[in-house]
Amino acid sequence: MTTAHRSRRPEPRPRRAIRPAAAVALTAVLALTASACGNSGDAAGGEGDGKGTVEFWDNNGGVRTPVWKKIIAAFEKKHPDIDVKYVPVPITEVQSKYDTAIAGGGLPDVGGVKTADLANMVAQGALEPVGDRIEDGPLKGRLSPGMVASVRAAGGEGDEMFSVPTSANQSVLWYRTDLFEKAGLDAPDDWETFYEAAEKLTDAGDNKFGFTLRGGAGSVAQALDMMYAQSGVGTFWKGGKTTVNAPENVEALEKYAGLYKKATPAADLNNDFTKMVAQFGSGDIGMLLHNLGSYPDHVKAFGKDRIAGIPLPPSADGAPRTIPSNPVDGLGLFRSSDNKAAAWKFIAFAASHEMNSLWNEEAGAIPARTDAAGDAWVEDAAPVKAAMESLNDPETKIVQLPYELPDWNHISKAGTEPDFQKLLLGEMTAQEFADKLAGLLNEARAEWNEQREK
Amino acid sequence: MALAVAKEPRGTGRRRAGGPARLPYLLISPAVLLMLGFLAYPMISVLYYSLRHYNVTKPWRNGFAGLDNFSALLADDLFWQSLVFSAQWVGTEVALQLALGLALALIVNQTFVGRGISRALVFSPWAVSGVLTTTIWMLLYNPSTGVSRYLADAGIGSYGTSVLSDPGTVFWAAVLAELWRGVPFFAILILADLQSIPRDLYEAASVDGAGRLRQFLHITLPHLKDAIVLSTLLRAVWEFNNVDLLYTLTGGGPAGATTTLPLYVANTGIHGHDFGYASALTTVAFVILLFCSILYLRLSKFGGDRS
Repeated sequence: MTTAHRSRRPEPRPRRAIRPAAAVALTAVLALTASACGNSGDAAGGEGDGKGTVEFWDNNGGVRTPVWKKIIAAFEKKHPDIDVKYVPVPITEVQSKYDTAIAGGGLPDVGGVKTADLANMVAQGALEPVGDRIEDGPLKGRLSPGMVASVRAAGGEGDEMFSVPTSANQSVLWYRTDLFEKAGLDAPDDWETFYEAAEKLTDAGDNKFGFTLRGGAGSVAQALDMMYAQSGVGTFWKGGKTTVNAPENVEALEKYAGLYKKATPAADLNNDFTKMVAQFGSGDIGMLLHNLGSYPDHVKAFGKDRIAGIPLPPSADGAPRTIPSNPVDGLGLFRSSDNKAAAWKFIAFAASHEMNSLWNEEAGAIPARTDAAGDAWVEDAAPVKAAMESLNDPETKIVQLPYELPDWNHISKAGTEPDFQKLLLGEMTAQEFADKLAGLLNEARAEWNEQREK
Repeated sequence: MALAVAKEPRGTGRRRAGGPARLPYLLISPAVLLMLGFLAYPMISVLYYSLRHYNVTKPWRNGFAGLDNFSALLADDLFWQSLVFSAQWVGTEVALQLALGLALALIVNQTFVGRGISRALVFSPWAVSGVLTTTIWMLLYNPSTGVSRYLADAGIGSYGTSVLSDPGTVFWAAVLAELWRGVPFFAILILADLQSIPRDLYEAASVDGAGRLRQFLHITLPHLKDAIVLSTLLRAVWEFNNVDLLYTLTGGGPAGATTTLPLYVANTGIHGHDFGYASALTTVAFVILLFCSILYLRLSKFGGDRS
């Protein structure tokens, strides 16, 4: 009987038995669909009652966590009815974290936003305009006009501002004063001295190099600094086309790339800023180009007496400096926030004189508050002071990089960094690299202009 | 059957759960839900986006694309380069991991003093996470503090160099790091199968005059066939999809020299924001893997009669 039972074809199951399983599956699919469509980044949100919890994403979490904790503690003491939920996001992951939250929901009320990321977020409708709030509050007239202009330009929506600028950075030519003195070299404040020093300080057989360059992540931004500073070309666009492949810039790029292996370690090909700064700090390398942010690392490695930082030299004796604009860091208010009133209180507090000064002192950056520029710590931090002076010099030509282009980040990073490595390896000429970069930029700008005209 | 049902005791779990026909569905429903949520939904989603232009930073471009993304990738040099590199990476890694894993498994299957410690050492890299593996190897390859620095101190090679920054050496440097992590996987699986081979087969072969090589070829290998087929297939799929080690060790560079197809997908989606095109690349990668897996299982007659 058992055998007969096993060999018998199973009888069809009643239809109603399948229904529960089908219902469960259908419910699950619908739930997934619903969750995928929920609370996208461009939801309108609301003002709220000015109390409750404000979620804040730090766009350089880890490195800046201690100073933000101080600012948040001071804010919560002043506003006991508001709690700030601090979320540190590593700088390398912040872009994808924002993109994911914009697409799938879960954006904070306030977030750190650099001008380099602003265009992407504005294009996705994620950020609330803050121009009126600035004009109607204590921040009016207190923010650096240059940084305000950068924020407006990066947003790509005319004069509207989509973040409150808090600090700016600038590329600095850091050099080891002890090595320069020992070699009898002057400070590298002109290009001839720079290249001479790079060569004289190099003795590869004895593990000594004149310069360390950035060949990995961030290489193109650094190359642009070197190109424009040497060439003196003062604008990024001319006649609707980029000046990246102008003959003066190509020549400058060729000289800069020529340093690779001649005056730099071969391993520089993969350098991102962490590796580059670590390498500078652990060996006998004469010079490094990096922003103000690495000042504490250099002081820690060598002490204040053995390191100095100056702005990149002017293109020629007596000529004004040419500086490509560095991204301006700021705080953005998200459109989807249901508690914008409380969120704005936090932004305004973080951008107050005292807090902005504190943040920039610890970060070694240039404060956005005009009234913080004269603070004692700025006087003591020579590289920061020199950077501020060069930026504020009316003769200085600031080359505004096209942060407003949604493609800018991709083009200037993953889109062309492998080509920059080909240039260093001799697999591509400076002209070919500059032409490719220019082609991508011109195409992106044409598309952007076309959309704005529609 | 009617008799069997009549004899069933009252108040069994089957009755309480709502009848015999519903119970199996209830029992498998968690697994079904998980599969729907974590397999079916993402796959359908990727397929859907592969047929669309979807770039989060350029919303004006978004919309139905038909097969545009697929025709674009046929003309994309980077796609073909990354596909060729992926094939090279998978072939080299799986072949070397299998050979070394088999050798190690055969060694630690022998009886000798210190076998327990040896086995632990052989298997330990498998317990190390991908990120830690990369960190270890990055320190070894570091130009200032790694092996090259000490070699230069000893007069071998130059200062300031790294195998990761030389296009001529970066491939083998990455292969070595991944071998360290991957060999134990094969060794563990093969050792488990080796221990299930009856000893009397070897004794009988010995009596018949078979040497160690003949025993290996005619007893060991045929017994290991299924384990080898399954582990190489699994490892090939994992190596094809390998992102963590290459992303953190080389970033796909220098100059794109170590960019696999999944790395290209990550760059296109995460950095380029072009999720439509990245989805099309993912779909093609999925089809390639599926086709290769089926072909491999057919050719190897996996699970067939060993006799």
